[in-house]
Amino acid sequence: MRRSLVQSGPPMKLAVIGGGPSALYVTSRLLSLLKNEPNIRVHVYDRLWSPYGLVRYGVAPDHPEVKNCTHKFDETAKDPRFRFFGNIEVVPTPPFGSIPRLPSTRLGHAVQLPVSSILPYYTHLLLSTGCTLPTLHPTILPSALCIPALSLVHWYTSHPSNPPTPPLHQKPHVSIIGAGNVSLDVARILLTPPSLLSGYDLPRHVLEVLNRSTVKHVSILARRGPLEAAFTAKELREMMNIPGTSMKHIPSDLLAPPPDVKVTRQQSRILQLLQKGSKEKYGTTEKTWSVDFFRSPTQLSSAAGETKGDLPLTLTLSHTALDPTTHASVPTGITSQLHTSLVVTSLGFQADPSSTPFYDPQLRRFRTLPGGRVVENQDGRVIKNVYGSGWAAGGAKGVLASTMMDAYNVAETMVEDLVASDATDSVASPSSYIGVQNGGVERGEEDSEKRDILEIMNPSASLYSLPPEIASALPERKVVEFKDWKKVDGEEVKRGQESGKERERMGWEEVKDFLGLKPAWK
Amino acid sequence: MLSTCFLSFASRNSQLTGSLTLVSRHGEIQRPKPGTGVKLHFKDSKGNDIKTVEVNEGDDILSIAHEHDIDLEGACEGSVACSTCHVILPPEYYDLLPEPEDDENDMLDMAFGLTDTSRLGCQVKITKELDNMAVTLPAATRNMFVDGEGTSSH
Repeated sequence: MRRSLVQSGPPMKLAVIGGGPSALYVTSRLLSLLKNEPNIRVHVYDRLWSPYGLVRYGVAPDHPEVKNCTHKFDETAKDPRFRFFGNIEVVPTPPFGSIPRLPSTRLGHAVQLPVSSILPYYTHLLLSTGCTLPTLHPTILPSALCIPALSLVHWYTSHPSNPPTPPLHQKPHVSIIGAGNVSLDVARILLTPPSLLSGYDLPRHVLEVLNRSTVKHVSILARRGPLEAAFTAKELREMMNIPGTSMKHIPSDLLAPPPDVKVTRQQSRILQLLQKGSKEKYGTTEKTWSVDFFRSPTQLSSAAGETKGDLPLTLTLSHTALDPTTHASVPTGITSQLHTSLVVTSLGFQADPSSTPFYDPQLRRFRTLPGGRVVENQDGRVIKNVYGSGWAAGGAKGVLASTMMDAYNVAETMVEDLVASDATDSVASPSSYIGVQNGGVERGEEDSEKRDILEIMNPSASLYSLPPEIASALPERKVVEFKDWKKVDGEEVKRGQESGKERERMGWEEVKDFLGLKPAWK
Repeated sequence: MLSTCFLSFASRNSQLTGSLTLVSRHGEIQRPKPGTGVKLHFKDSKGNDIKTVEVNEGDDILSIAHEHDIDLEGACEGSVACSTCHVILPPEYYDLLPEPEDDENDMLDMAFGLTDTSRLGCQVKITKELDNMAVTLPAATRNMFVDGEGTSSH
């Protein structure tokens, strides 16, 4: 069954589901590794109409330098072997996931493309679908006055899901549950004087709401201590430096590490920052913030009779301690109450079971081996030429640099497998399964043995054909291709320049008119 | 053709970083006339030579790497918002440099394979006294994961 890559058809025609940083870093590395190979095609599908995923719809507006990575993605997109199809929502089809879709995650205007329509047209598949759903608090559920941080992020980035405008008027006290960088991003946007944000990529309608905001204090609630906090020094330092804002002093006993604990460089720098406190002194500023360590909210009540006007909500906080062996937070039995006006839950993100083929309900994402090879749920067979990368494969953690390194690792595995299949027509040499990485699945020794292989892709897919849904949606002008996106990109920057800012974002309705698109109304 | 190109992939531990070329941004810095510049020796994580280059004073290591097709990323393009241009310097040269600023240290916190003499390449400007410095690229992801996650020395 040996086949020659050059003589008997395409060595690789890859469909990528998701057009975020992981997908585009894999693509970039792959096309650069295979730069002399003409018989390669990479087709990136995104349910959103624009590329870049979280770089566009997640990175905080006042961190424009992080978005410089899009220059590299734009270089990649110039490769004639690359195509981007935006506004295409890939829908799992049995037997690759039959969980009903959650209505809240649908984007009504996207063209629906069943996975079963992709498989016959591609030799390879990469799943980079990310973690698009917020992890919710088990007892404190979303409501008008309890908002997942992701909704706020989607609001200030004009995400196509169109979340409601957060109620920031008559809300002097905001409580954020969770102590990661997203918590600090939200806190920073709420506390920074809007005049300092106006030059950034922040939509006009968002700035208007921030201008009217009455938020005076942001309380960040962490169920564990400063050594376990997920935020990083850069974001914490930014909080310390917000003009007109100060941090409430943290009791020094909380900032002394236990004597037997060896702190890392990062931990000790975070402790130093917390010890040093904010640039402006607490009590001298109009706005303030606090981090309350070892506080785990258990209940949110809105008994109007007990609380006063601006603070209609009461959070019950369980005081916690760290279990010395498991490092989990455990309740001490003590509780207290926190009166607040608005609650934001910022507890991480997870993959959407209804947008991720091969989803494993136990892992809450799909199962991968080191290097990103996807494994079938039921019997652990390797799915030949199917890979996963980024948050969808490894969970929602890490910064852009870690996403990039993971993506390069996956791209290199794909090329190795391609070369190995050229020689032996097998997925890969057994030695390449050694090690434990992605997905938190510790398989150890088991993976040094060759696994059974499930083949679902089409090894002789034509380089030039497209799934029928795409072939018909293209002439009907329902698809946003990369050149379309670059037109929008240019227009957004131009509109921004007119009002002295980085860019003025366009929403779907404007984009549709600007490009002359016809949405696939469902 | 493809197989010949990727012979280096036959071995899992091949020097990936040395054998690959990324899209680079040439022309951002000038190369000095041969024999007149400061010499830098780029090495991979195992200490193998990648390339020796001659550079001008004032250029930074990230721009130099891009100019010479050395596989050092600069995701944020030198604005100290990522750790992708992390390099490791010999202690005797590290001590010649000004201390890293807070923002650089914040990013180094998150660098893979951090050492006591790690710097962000974009923040190291070349001076005459750095002549003949070895610039070591940290271990690639792959090696990090295969060896286990504990290879960082901090």
